[in-house]
Amino acid sequence: MHRILRLSFFLMGLLVAAGSHAADAQKPTLTTEDSLGPQVTQPIEFPHYRHAGLRNPNDPTNSDPNKGGMEIDCQYCHTYARRSAVAGIPPLQKCIGCHQNIESVRQKPRIVELFKYWDAKKAVPWKKVHDLPDFVRFNHERHIKRFIEQQNRPTQEACGYCHGDVKEMTVARRSKPLTMGWCASCHQKEHPVTGEGGAPIGNQAYWYKFQKPAADKSGGEIKAQGPNDCWHCHK
Amino acid sequence: MSVGTLLENWSEFRHFHPVDDKPHDPYKWAMSIDLDTCTGCNACSVACYAENNIPVVGKEKFQHGQQMHWMRIERYWSEDDREFPDQGAQFLPMMCQQCEAAPCETVCPVGATNHTADGLNSQIYNRCIGSRYCSANCPFKVRYFNWYDYPTVDNVWPAEMTRQLNPDVSVRGKGVMEKCTFCVQRLRAVEVTAKSEGRIVREGEVQTACQQACPSSAISFGNLVDPESRVHKQWAAQQVVLEADEQEKNKEHGTSELRGYRILEELRPYPSVMYLEQVRESAV
Repeated sequence: MHRILRLSFFLMGLLVAAGSHAADAQKPTLTTEDSLGPQVTQPIEFPHYRHAGLRNPNDPTNSDPNKGGMEIDCQYCHTYARRSAVAGIPPLQKCIGCHQNIESVRQKPRIVELFKYWDAKKAVPWKKVHDLPDFVRFNHERHIKRFIEQQNRPTQEACGYCHGDVKEMTVARRSKPLTMGWCASCHQKEHPVTGEGGAPIGNQAYWYKFQKPAADKSGGEIKAQGPNDCWHCHK
Repeated sequence: MSVGTLLENWSEFRHFHPVDDKPHDPYKWAMSIDLDTCTGCNACSVACYAENNIPVVGKEKFQHGQQMHWMRIERYWSEDDREFPDQGAQFLPMMCQQCEAAPCETVCPVGATNHTADGLNSQIYNRCIGSRYCSANCPFKVRYFNWYDYPTVDNVWPAEMTRQLNPDVSVRGKGVMEKCTFCVQRLRAVEVTAKSEGRIVREGEVQTACQQACPSSAISFGNLVDPESRVHKQWAAQQVVLEADEQEKNKEHGTSELRGYRILEELRPYPSVMYLEQVRESAV
């Protein structure tokens, strides 16, 4: 009797394990309509597409605000991302620094609104769009260094991994789930940490496991996963 | 983390250290505490409360054994027959020993406590279900359980006091286990800076809160792998080896003149904290 019981427990265990594996196999698509964040109403409707969007080749003067952007680098305004854990919100001075010299749009309603804040000496109360739970330790600087500075990925691509295609947006909206499973789905990928011949990218090779990962026999390239110990991200 | 990954890497999560083929590189955080300079002033304990958002539970709950002091000062009296001032008090700051083969890790039913690559014994509050098995299995009894929802129910931090809470440390809710983290928030901050600058963390770049507060500098903390670190030098001078369950120096003559020892070493948890104390006549 005991044996049968034990066996059935074992089989149950197997079934559960197999079930969880099967659930694993069909991963949800990462960006679904459901995972879109709420539509945030900002104090000024900031046109990201106009600032960061691609230039319109048919409009060399770039004069039509409804078409084409300025191709301004994300890091021009979001300057803290590359040197601190939080990206921060650009100060009002940053906006005014350019806009006091752009007479052509000075009378547009959004810019008039902007200068009202400036004259009142008040910061624009922007609302947070990408908000992580308080128990998460996320570092912008590491991701920027890793992908933009060391692997020479374009800024918009690297930022877009988590922020989506902001250059197409007016007010930014969360377009990735920003859940732990989603973060881990990228940290589980094998990213190259060395280039051809085993030279570390940016004079640094990274691995977060207990052992240096073995070099790929063919290319001499070493690949490793991102940090995967719980305490890297959990406070 | 998916169940698949968890199972695939099970041996690594449940890996106990140290083993020859997997040395710590580049970090192994360790501590040494000089009990001969410790005065038992409790500054380390207070600093720990402030740094790590530890609730002050009050007298009554303390008497019920529900205190949360991650760092506690244990008192020992060497002259029991004498009156108080001459009793020969000895103090021992006790906190999580960040064992390399931690007994708490193996018994957690949900894998909420794990070993990290830099030699810490992690505790993930989100994953913890409060079985308290880890605490039961901890030989040092340094794990503390949240019996109440301290931040909201118990008013341990009255209105303005919430502003002194450390934003880099979670405020724990009811039903999770917690313990000393070796101030992991500080470690992660310097590790990130160092990594961005293409180097490893230098000696003296990071201090734990208790170390920072200690008026007699009894506590030193650092990277045991780094031969320049004070901790490495102290461990080497005291001939205390991390991966030994009985130190070589004690094997031949029974006891050594050297002061370094680790608590409950013979149980083979391979603790990361070394204590230094001259053996007194009265203790023998």
